[in-house]
Amino acid sequence: MMKKILRLAGKLAAIAAAVYGVLFAVFYFDLDGKFLYHVWIPFVNRRYEKLERKDVTKTPYGMTVEKAE
Amino acid sequence: MKKLKAKLQALKKVDYKKAARDFWYGKPHEERRLGDLYEDKTGLYKHREWRGVKDTLYYFNNIWLYNYAHMVTDVVKGGDPVAFLKGTLRYRWMGQTYLTVMHWYDRGMEGMRGEALRATAWHYRAMTSETIRQFTRMFAADSKLHGGKKNALWYKTLAHDETVSGCIFYPWRDVIDDVPLQMVPYFVSVHVNSDTVLHYIDAVQSIGLPADPCPMCQAEAGIFVLDDYPDYSPLMVTTNEACDGSVATSILQDWFMNKPLFAMPQPMRFDDPLVQEHCQREIEECWRFIEKHTGIPFDWNQYVKYAERYNQLTAFEREKWDVAANSPYYPISGVAQALYRIYYSQDGDRQIWHDTDKKVRRIMEKCVREKIETFPKTRHRAIAWSCAPLYYSHWCTWAYNCWGINCVINMDSLMFDQDLRTDTYEHAIEDLAWFNEKAPMRAMAVGGHDHIFQLWDYMERFHCDMVVMYDQLQCKGMQGIHGMFEDEFRKRNIHAIWVPHALPDKRTVSRGEIRRIISDYMTTVMHEEPLDPSLVDFDDSMSW
Repeated sequence: MMKKILRLAGKLAAIAAAVYGVLFAVFYFDLDGKFLYHVWIPFVNRRYEKLERKDVTKTPYGMTVEKAE
Repeated sequence: MKKLKAKLQALKKVDYKKAARDFWYGKPHEERRLGDLYEDKTGLYKHREWRGVKDTLYYFNNIWLYNYAHMVTDVVKGGDPVAFLKGTLRYRWMGQTYLTVMHWYDRGMEGMRGEALRATAWHYRAMTSETIRQFTRMFAADSKLHGGKKNALWYKTLAHDETVSGCIFYPWRDVIDDVPLQMVPYFVSVHVNSDTVLHYIDAVQSIGLPADPCPMCQAEAGIFVLDDYPDYSPLMVTTNEACDGSVATSILQDWFMNKPLFAMPQPMRFDDPLVQEHCQREIEECWRFIEKHTGIPFDWNQYVKYAERYNQLTAFEREKWDVAANSPYYPISGVAQALYRIYYSQDGDRQIWHDTDKKVRRIMEKCVREKIETFPKTRHRAIAWSCAPLYYSHWCTWAYNCWGINCVINMDSLMFDQDLRTDTYEHAIEDLAWFNEKAPMRAMAVGGHDHIFQLWDYMERFHCDMVVMYDQLQCKGMQGIHGMFEDEFRKRNIHAIWVPHALPDKRTVSRGEIRRIISDYMTTVMHEEPLDPSLVDFDDSMSW
C-alpha cells in the first residue's frame, strides 16, 4: 500500500515537474508572446473587421431619458 | 573538423568561474546586452532575460505564472466568464490587450533585480487587478453583451470619464459601482498594445474631426464612433479635463450615447479663490443629477468612509516621495511610480490599492533599513515633466538600462496632493473641489504657468539634476509655454531633454525616435558612454 502511494506521489511529482519545465520553456523563449503576436492578434483582428457595428452617426442629436427602476 | 576544432578552442577560452557566477547572479549591468534579446521590429524576445537564478525564478513564479493564473481566476471570481468571453470577441481594446498584458510587464521591468523588481511588479499587479475588476463589471452590466437587455447591474453602475475622479462617487460606493468608461478601453490599452488606439483616432477623424486636437480626446471619442464601448450604465458624467478637447468629446458622447449626461466643468485658472464656490456647486449639482437618475440618495457616511480610506493612500504616497527624494533606496521604477499613482488617484479608493501599499511598504522599509541601493547604476536623477507618451511610458526603464538615467519622479505622480477633510460637510466639499481641480492636466498642464513652473521646486525637493521634458505636440496648453521653459532652462543652467510625442499616437514620434533624441543628448551634450550599447539603436517599430 505504502509503495503504491509512493509510486503515485512520484508520478504526480514527475508530471508536475514536466509541466513546470514546459511552462518555463514557454516563459523563457517568449512562446506566449510569439503565439499572441503571430496567431491570436491576427485572429481577433479579422473578427473585429468583420463585426457589424451600429453607425452611431445616425443617432439623432436629442435626448431619450431612461427611467431608473 | 575545422569548425569543431574552433569550437573546442573557444570552449577552452571560456572563463567557467565567471560563467557560473553570471548564471547564478546574472550578468553585471554593463555586460547584459539587453538589446540583443529582441527580435527585429516586433520587440518580441528571442528569449526572456536571464536575471540570475533567484530573480529569474522570482520573475517566472511570482510575476509571469502568478499573473497568468490570476488573469484566469479573477475573471472566474467576477462571476460571469461568458460575458468576459463575449467581451473579448466583441471589443477590440479587450481582445488586443488582455492576453498580451505580460509583455507590458516585460517591457516595464527589463533589467530589474531584487527589491526593485518586486516592488515594481506589485504595482503592475494592482493595476491589472483593478483593470479586471473594471471590465468584469462593465461586461456583467453591458446591454450589448446581453442581447440588448438592461439587467439589474446596468441600473446599479455609474459610467464616467476617466478624468472624473472616482472620489466624486463615494456617496454611492456601497450600493452603486462606478466605472470610468475610457480607463481600460483607452488609457490601459495604449500602454499594453499601442496599435489598438490608432483605430479610434482614425475613426473620429473619418467623420470630419481635424487631426490636430489632443489625440487623447480624439481616441476617447473614436471609441464611440466605432461603437466599441460597452453600454453598462443609465447615465454618464463627463468633464472638461484636460481641456477644450474634452468638451468636444463630451458633446460627441452626448450624441452617440443618447442617455442622460452631466458635464462637470473644472475652471482653467482653478486656484482663483473666486471660482472655488462655483466648483463646489458643480459637484453638488452632479450629485443631484446622480440622485435624480438612479433614485438613490446621497449618503454622507459612505462619503466619509471612503474619503478617510483614500487619505491613507495619500499619506503613504507622501512617505514614498520622501524616500524617493532623499535616498537611493526607493524600490519603485519610474514607470511603475507614474502609472500606479495616476491609476489609483484617478480611480479612487479600492481595496487592492491598500493591499498593494502594505506589500510595497514592507519592501521599501527593508530597502531603507538595509540600505539597499535599488538602482545602483544611477548617473542622473531625472524628473519627468508634463504629460508622458503613453505608448512609451516605459522609456524610463530603457533610459536607466542604457544611460543610467533614473527617473525618480514625474509630474503625474504629484497631482491630487490633497487631504480630504471629513469633519464637516463644508470642509469636505471644499477639499473635494480642490482635489478635483488638482487633476493631472488641469493642475500642471493647462492650469496656468505658475503650476507648471512648480518644476523648479520639485527638482530641488527630489534632488534631481536633469529634466526629461515631455513635449506633447498636440497639447495647445503646453505648446503655449514651450518658449518660457526654454528660457528658464537656459537661465537656470538645467540639463533638459525635450521629448516630443503625441500622447497615445506612436505614428507621430516613434519610440525609436524618442530613444535617438535622448541618446543624442547623452553623447553630444553630456559626453557619456552608454552602459549598455546594445540598447542605443534597435528597431521595435512593429512592437506592441
